[in-house]
Amino acid sequence: MMRYARLFGLFLKASFLVELEYRANFAARAVVSLFWAGVTLTGAGVFYSHAETIGGWTFNEALVIIGLFTFMSGFIQTFLQPNVQRIIDMIRLGTLDFVLTKPVNSQFMASLRHAQVFSMVDMLLGAVIVIWACMRLGYAPPVLSLAQFALMLLMAVLIVYSIWMVIATLAFWLVKVNNMAELFTSVYDTGRFPVTTFDGLIRLVLTFVIPIAFITTFPAQSVLGRLDTETVLMAVAMGGGMFGFSSLFWRYAVRSYSSASS
Amino acid sequence: MAQIEVDHLSKHYLVHEKEPGLIGSLRSFVARKYRTVKAVEDVSFSIDAGEMVGFLGPNGAGKTTTLKVLSGLLYPTSGRVSVLGFTPHKRQNEYLKQFTLVMGQKQQLMWDLPPLETFLVNRAIYEVPKADFEAILKELDDLLELGPLLKKQVRKLSLGERMKCELAAALLHRPKVLFLDEPTIGLDVTMQARIREFVAEYNRRHGATVILTSHYMADVTALCDRIIVIDKGHVLYDGNFRALIERIAPYKVLKVQLDHPPATALLAQFGEVVAVDGPTAVLHVPRAQAAETAARLLAQVEVDDINFEEPAVEDIIRQVFAGRVDGLLAEAKVAESSHSTPNAM
Repeated sequence: MMRYARLFGLFLKASFLVELEYRANFAARAVVSLFWAGVTLTGAGVFYSHAETIGGWTFNEALVIIGLFTFMSGFIQTFLQPNVQRIIDMIRLGTLDFVLTKPVNSQFMASLRHAQVFSMVDMLLGAVIVIWACMRLGYAPPVLSLAQFALMLLMAVLIVYSIWMVIATLAFWLVKVNNMAELFTSVYDTGRFPVTTFDGLIRLVLTFVIPIAFITTFPAQSVLGRLDTETVLMAVAMGGGMFGFSSLFWRYAVRSYSSASS
Repeated sequence: MAQIEVDHLSKHYLVHEKEPGLIGSLRSFVARKYRTVKAVEDVSFSIDAGEMVGFLGPNGAGKTTTLKVLSGLLYPTSGRVSVLGFTPHKRQNEYLKQFTLVMGQKQQLMWDLPPLETFLVNRAIYEVPKADFEAILKELDDLLELGPLLKKQVRKLSLGERMKCELAAALLHRPKVLFLDEPTIGLDVTMQARIREFVAEYNRRHGATVILTSHYMADVTALCDRIIVIDKGHVLYDGNFRALIERIAPYKVLKVQLDHPPATALLAQFGEVVAVDGPTAVLHVPRAQAAETAARLLAQVEVDDINFEEPAVEDIIRQVFAGRVDGLLAEAKVAESSHSTPNAM
């Protein structure tokens, strides 16, 4: 465990060094992050200029969701997107051989090897929005809610990670899966609204099929102290189950991997 | 006991076929036709610790596939493989820490960073203690003259420099077994020689077992006493390299330069005349009688110049591939394990 933490630290450091090579990128990244956060906030503002609450959420409460959405987008762009892209490339070019012949867990190495460190700006921005929303609400979450929130956040991270890993793993057979990643990104966009704003079937799909609700809505409810225990248990089952499935699927794929070219 | 044992190994792939052109592409997009490719078929050999063995064969012969099975990247379709007592495809960490795979056409160095950064990551992955790491890096630095390269971004290195760093990155954990797949591909002659010397020196110092594939004959002839010739997935020859040459080409090539076009009949007394071009003639002379024949020729015929050459290795290998050499397998080291003689492919 310590060893993996150290390795992860080294991966982060190396990724940071890579990004320092391209300085202009950082400035551009920061501008893009602020721009998108602005777009989301303005959009929400427009909706709320017509109604006090939407799907049972006031503007300030919805801000918590927007903050979480921004945070998770940052997480996806920092860790998942670059690594999934690289996994696809490595499968296509056959350089995955170098990962598979290393004495470490290959999924760990393949999925966390690179980080687009500058996208952490979004994670930071997201955290700031959540705190800002709580301040506007004049609400200080009790310790118990915070602990539950930490758990829900961990499950949210596991769920997004697993979805992306399953898409990446499909590349073992389908080779190019970039469009599937695009598809997820489109569905993920619904995460900026509380899942309760959607009706019947769509809500079910966003809860159980592509569990976007677990990524933004439920953690937001958690920090606001409005989440029931059943949903927490469901999240733990969902997060654990999906993570377990993604590792099994990865292991199965590696078995049938035939490594490209010679 | 042998360090690497391969017993009746076969590896078949399912590949999809695509007809040329747009229609062909569309057709294969909708319904794919599959075909089984027998990349490796019933291959057996065993290699002792410290041996350097060359895999020879044309493209697509099955060399790389064999190396990948040995590295645990591919599951054998059938047969048994064991390296250092491990079954490679189980990919246990204890095994992965003891060998290395270098592929001339693929790189593991991080493109935007100096090689040293990759080295540090590999040190952590292989859990090499700091003191050992420094000693090993120092040694590799001496042997490969890495010095200034270590702190330059990989993308700014030349192909040869990058290959040196790739080798270093692959050897930081001091592996016992080295799988080198075309390590000199695309390099100029000088750099090829440098890499070759390095591999030879590394083998001498650390007694590492080396399997080398290359289609530069010079790599193999310079490094390996033993070669395994593979073609179309089958082993055609396994044994001593010199012995192969002597068997297929039991002659030396004698070039004679005269001052006038020679009479073929006259030269025929000294050996088989294979070519006459103006005043120059080329003869094949039995190895054992080479010196004596040369003396006789000098005494009886007036010649301007005379010299012996070894038969070109490329020609010899081509003969092996052409299946023109009968009974090779019967004499090869693995005679007992190759029951089906795959000849004349």
